[in-house]
Amino acid sequence: MSEISCEDVLHEIEHLVDGELDADQAAHLEHHISACGSCFGHADFRRKLKEIVRIKCQGTDDTPEHLLMAVRERLHAEGMGQHPPGPQPQA
Amino acid sequence: MAFVVSEYDCRHREREASGRVSQHQTRPLAGEAGSGEAQRQPADLEARFETEALPLLPILYASAYRMTRNAADAEDLVQETFLRAYRGFHQFEPGTNLKAWLYRILTNTFINSYRKKQREPQTISDDEVEDWYLYSKMAERGAEPSAETSVIESLPDEDVQAALNGLPDQFRIAVMLADVDGFSYKEIAEITEVPIGTVMSRLHRGRKALEKALWDKVKERGLVRD
Repeated sequence: MSEISCEDVLHEIEHLVDGELDADQAAHLEHHISACGSCFGHADFRRKLKEIVRIKCQGTDDTPEHLLMAVRERLHAEGMGQHPPGPQPQA
Repeated sequence: MAFVVSEYDCRHREREASGRVSQHQTRPLAGEAGSGEAQRQPADLEARFETEALPLLPILYASAYRMTRNAADAEDLVQETFLRAYRGFHQFEPGTNLKAWLYRILTNTFINSYRKKQREPQTISDDEVEDWYLYSKMAERGAEPSAETSVIESLPDEDVQAALNGLPDQFRIAVMLADVDGFSYKEIAEITEVPIGTVMSRLHRGRKALEKALWDKVKERGLVRD
């Protein structure tokens, strides 16, 4: 496999960290990164930063209890759940 | 009522294939032209809506909360999203990405309903922000930058959220969808109705602007000297 320059690696790290490279491309990059201190540092930094953004910006996972009920009421008003129950008897 | 959501995918493919970049978003979404008339769906569709769409309510609420930044607006946004999704559900193709489909309705509803005042094209002045901005700032301090992410980690959550929320919506939403919700570029393209190249550009520029904003927060907090 051809040599890849640090410049090219630095360009692709964002896509690598986003998991958007195919397996061959990713392996090619990882091969370089594992042997190159500078690129390793950049990749590590990018991964950590992405993870920090994820954790710090997650916000709430507490869905208000009444919300599902409120959604159901809106849908019911729209006609949801108003089919006659059970299979229709055949004439 | 106009229901044209299902046409999106093939048109989107055409647009990508032809390389044309069209960003106007005038196409109505599911239920958008709502007349208030009840739109009852067939029983099998209702059953699928119940078992497949409604369980996604908690993740949609969490994303709505991040977009609107308050609980009352997030609740309204989620209700509106499910109402539109229900009305347009007969056009959703089974087997395709339901989560992305619901996020598209959520994102469109947010932009159209909560962001009417910001119709003018949004941009960020990132010309002076070079790639690897934050990494370079960290390196200038003589430390190993990947270890220095601990400085960013020590920022209160509110500061990181404020830095992200300071970005114009199209960049903010792209970064949120990728880094917080974990969507792929392809899914983000589908959700925000732009080509993948545009998604990559928004992510790259949005992240650079975010790095700048994070560095400003770090300085404000006195965690480093510039």
